[in-house]
Amino acid sequence: MSEKRSGVFGKLKDAVKQVTYGMALHSQVTGVLKTRMYIEHLFTLMILGDMLGLPILPPYYSLRLLPYTIPSIKSWKHRFYRERDFTDIIYG
Amino acid sequence: MIGLRQYLEQNSETKMIIFAGKGGLGKTTCSAALAYHLAVNEGKRCLCFSTDPQASLSDIFERDIFGKGEIEVAPNLYVVEIDADKRIREYIEDVKRKIREMYKMEEIPPEIESYIETSAVEPAMYESATYDAMAEYLAEGKYDYYIFDMPPFGHGVRMIAMAEILSMWVDRITDARKKAKEYDEIAATLRGQRVLSEDKVLEELYDIQRKLGFFKDVMLDRRKTAFFMVMTPEKMSILDTERALDMFKELGLTLSGIVVNQVLPSRLANNPSKLLAHRVEMQQRYLDEIRRKFGGKVVSVIPMFDREPKGLSMLGEVAKYLVNPPTAV
Repeated sequence: MSEKRSGVFGKLKDAVKQVTYGMALHSQVTGVLKTRMYIEHLFTLMILGDMLGLPILPPYYSLRLLPYTIPSIKSWKHRFYRERDFTDIIYG
Repeated sequence: MIGLRQYLEQNSETKMIIFAGKGGLGKTTCSAALAYHLAVNEGKRCLCFSTDPQASLSDIFERDIFGKGEIEVAPNLYVVEIDADKRIREYIEDVKRKIREMYKMEEIPPEIESYIETSAVEPAMYESATYDAMAEYLAEGKYDYYIFDMPPFGHGVRMIAMAEILSMWVDRITDARKKAKEYDEIAATLRGQRVLSEDKVLEELYDIQRKLGFFKDVMLDRRKTAFFMVMTPEKMSILDTERALDMFKELGLTLSGIVVNQVLPSRLANNPSKLLAHRVEMQQRYLDEIRRKFGGKVVSVIPMFDREPKGLSMLGEVAKYLVNPPTAV
């Protein structure tokens, strides 16, 4: 959210804004970020697939991108290796 | 036979000239001789580039240029002999340094370190590093002509096929990354924020895409790139050239011409040495076959010299036959 306002009226306005955001938009933002995470993981798979044993193209250009993907490697592997069951249909 | 001078006059947009063919038939000699002619006799800025790990341009120009970058061996004539192993080592060190700097790490996590190390020894890395160097030189656009001395044929053709595949792969991952950025923007807008930082990955991808795309476009453009096969009047070489023509067709490329090398002068057919006379007779028979099979494609015939074609003055001799061939050898 944008920066906080000062004064009673400003604070009230912020609170209303946050409540509205929470009620109307938060679930949408969560959904968008979840999709964003899937795309990030797909992207990581496309460039670092051989880290999981999936052969990909020569790693020359992948290595150039490797430094940027380091923060998401752990969660990517975790998600990839995770056991899946029927609740995945509900929770993704 | 039109010779390479006439070919280049007729195809004035040519930027890149590639000599392909089996090993040991004279690809390096032809590349070096043509580069010498264009630079020294015609005053064009030329880059002669070898992807051969055996330092053959160093031998032919009699200078140690292996892995030393662009070296001017004669006015306007620059030669590069890529040391792919060194390039890979530097590249890997660069990736590691970037990781350490970005995340303020003393040591790279062992898992990442071992991934980098195993990637570095993959055979495809060697090709990719060479390929990347070629693309980089071409994208810089400093020269009038780029003359590439390709490694023996199959390998060379794979490089051309790789141009398309790599380019396609980079396009795909760039699309995936753009999609991710779109989602970042949507999430930020819904939260009433703005996406402040530019996506560094996308910047890197655009850079790779620009370099590879340019290289691929030039390589597959028949007006800008000329492919010449080097062959000798021998059965194996004829069969290899036939196979190469099929491969060219499959890749949608056009062979610009054929250079027949190491041809013994026909007057030696009456030589008292039986070995020499038989050799000449055999070559003449195969030359007839070459004319029959690839007639229109033969641009030059280069004779066998009494010395190794090494050093600038000998390259000048070879170039005479290559660019402006006499009607009979």
